[in-house]
Amino acid sequence: MGRKLPLFICFIFGLVMFAQYFSAHPTARALNQAILDYWQIVFAFTLIVGVFSYLKNNMTEMSRNKDTVYRAVGLLGFLSMPVFALIWGIKADTPFMWTFENVQAPMQSTVFALLAFFVASASFRGFRARSFPAAVLLISALLMLLSRSNIGGFFSDGLPQVADWIRNYPSMAARRAILIGIGLGSLTTSLRVIVGIERTWLGGDK
Amino acid sequence: MKTFEARHWTFLGLLVVVAGAMILNIKLDMRVSPYTQRLYDCIDSLPDGSVLIVSFDHEASSLPEIRPIAQSVLRHTFKKGHKLIGVSLLAEGTLIGYRLMQETAREYGRVYGVDYVYLGFRPQYIAAILAMGESIGTTYPLDYLGRPYGQFELTRSVKNYDDVAAVLSIADGSLTTHWIEYGQARYGVRVLGAVTAAMVTTYDPYLSSGQMYAMMGGLRGAAEYEKLLAVSGGGARGMLAQSSAHLYIILLIALGNILYFASRKKGRGA
Amino acid sequence: MDAGTLIAGILTLAILTFLYRDNPIYKMAEYLLIGVSIGYILVVAWTNTLMAILFEPLFSGRNFWLIIPFALGLLMWGRFHDKTSSLSRIPIAFMIGSGAGVAIPAMLYGRTLKQMSATVMPLTDASGVPDISGLVVIVGLISTLAYFYFGREHKGTFGKAATIGTFFLMIFFGTTFGYTVMSRMSTLIGRMEFLLTDFFKLTN
Repeated sequence: MGRKLPLFICFIFGLVMFAQYFSAHPTARALNQAILDYWQIVFAFTLIVGVFSYLKNNMTEMSRNKDTVYRAVGLLGFLSMPVFALIWGIKADTPFMWTFENVQAPMQSTVFALLAFFVASASFRGFRARSFPAAVLLISALLMLLSRSNIGGFFSDGLPQVADWIRNYPSMAARRAILIGIGLGSLTTSLRVIVGIERTWLGGDK
Repeated sequence: MKTFEARHWTFLGLLVVVAGAMILNIKLDMRVSPYTQRLYDCIDSLPDGSVLIVSFDHEASSLPEIRPIAQSVLRHTFKKGHKLIGVSLLAEGTLIGYRLMQETAREYGRVYGVDYVYLGFRPQYIAAILAMGESIGTTYPLDYLGRPYGQFELTRSVKNYDDVAAVLSIADGSLTTHWIEYGQARYGVRVLGAVTAAMVTTYDPYLSSGQMYAMMGGLRGAAEYEKLLAVSGGGARGMLAQSSAHLYIILLIALGNILYFASRKKGRGA
Repeated sequence: MDAGTLIAGILTLAILTFLYRDNPIYKMAEYLLIGVSIGYILVVAWTNTLMAILFEPLFSGRNFWLIIPFALGLLMWGRFHDKTSSLSRIPIAFMIGSGAGVAIPAMLYGRTLKQMSATVMPLTDASGVPDISGLVVIVGLISTLAYFYFGREHKGTFGKAATIGTFFLMIFFGTTFGYTVMSRMSTLIGRMEFLLTDFFKLTN
């Protein structure tokens, strides 16, 4: 497979999807719907590519005797989900749902909860007012934390108003500048992709 | 190697503070922020029976924070008699959304197909959001359990965003951005957000520009929402622990800085 | 205690052991989590997506147009072999092209222009009293953009504007850090609630 056909396909669909934005014609709307549906279907196939890559990688590592027991446990977990879904379906109160609610979700959220401990450690060891900008960062963080704590007195009445003002104006202005920067960057990258200047998505040279 | 290092003490301290606060289980009163109030007022002011799309745009990792947030808003919508169409733009949000809608609907005696329908997951969120703008029934020909979209009393009258009062995105990441930049900008649908605290500042510019109509954030937001609804839930239960954890972090920052400046002074003095 | 709570509690504690150091119990739980998560995605992508919007309408509904995305999807699976992997460029081209096409108006209108127009706020309130907030936003936006403009050296007036921009950025990072701490603590509180109430039954 050369590069010309993919570049042509990319150009055509880029142009069509850009142009349809400005049209309310029923044909344009139908075309838009069809392309969006196809996009989702193709994307679902890419998800399955990822699943099989996981499987392949595990098989390769197990054949090299690397973390065999752990990988076997992982594979057992992996296989159990489609088997449960195939036999009992995916409704509420099925083994599939049970495994999600009692195995996957608790572990995943606990992994996330570990971050709370690392945030605490980082607050003690790394969050220092080494310079004036660092002090500004520190003070605004402290204001936010205090304003969203229930302490009473000024901290529950006046401080939230100060913190909300900081959030709504200076903080929001910086975030808006970042958003605009990303927006302009995405815009130019999209244009470069459509006209074929940006080709890194094609991968290797062949 | 030492078995118990400095970081372990900070970990232990946090564990004691949070667990202690939860065992004490004291309910705190709090001021409702204008952000939460605006979301509450928006949902409250919609005519009874309005159709809302609730999008579960989060993963299982944030479930402890997302659950009270989602529950509080879902309770309000069901209490008001609004009709809900549930979708998920992330695979992991699919089952969570299904369960949360089912549980909350049961609390208020709402019926599947009449008061709510759950459509489930579609991959590629931008395509899914845009496709629903054309036709929800074509994007989701079947509901989560494989029944035709047109079979239900609720969905028969909902073709696309024109028939929807608002989209409520319950998110732990930046997916609400896509609802705003594609759903709102392209099809003009009103976007509401119920997001984790970490994402609040990401959405502030959209809130300020009016592209996002209202937003509630974090466990604290959920607690405030529960106060407005006068119900007891996970948000209010966690408030003492949340405040204590904030104070603990502030203490750690202060202690770290005191030690830092003391060592700098000592270094200069030597 | 039901089996679900018992299993969830044991696995929660297994993950928490990482706080001491990496260990085989944690590793076992970690591999199990990855396996189950990927199995879950496979099931949801298959049942809730491919069955619903491809196979059902194609084979039962006889919508033969769907052969096009089906074929594109199969080409994506060309990646499984080195010899056929370049075939996957066709569906990738379709997705990248479509994505770029829809992104242009969204980024231009939905993000850039809307955000710019929202910045132009009245500098006085209804009674004519100057409103400092609007000015703060304009100064913050322009100076932060100046900081991110690397096409010119940050010297002179431009350099001063960029320096002001760093202060606005620090305020934003500080605010975000504060809210991120809240988020992480909320997640921990949720897990602790499960452990203390459902698993250890220490609280109600």
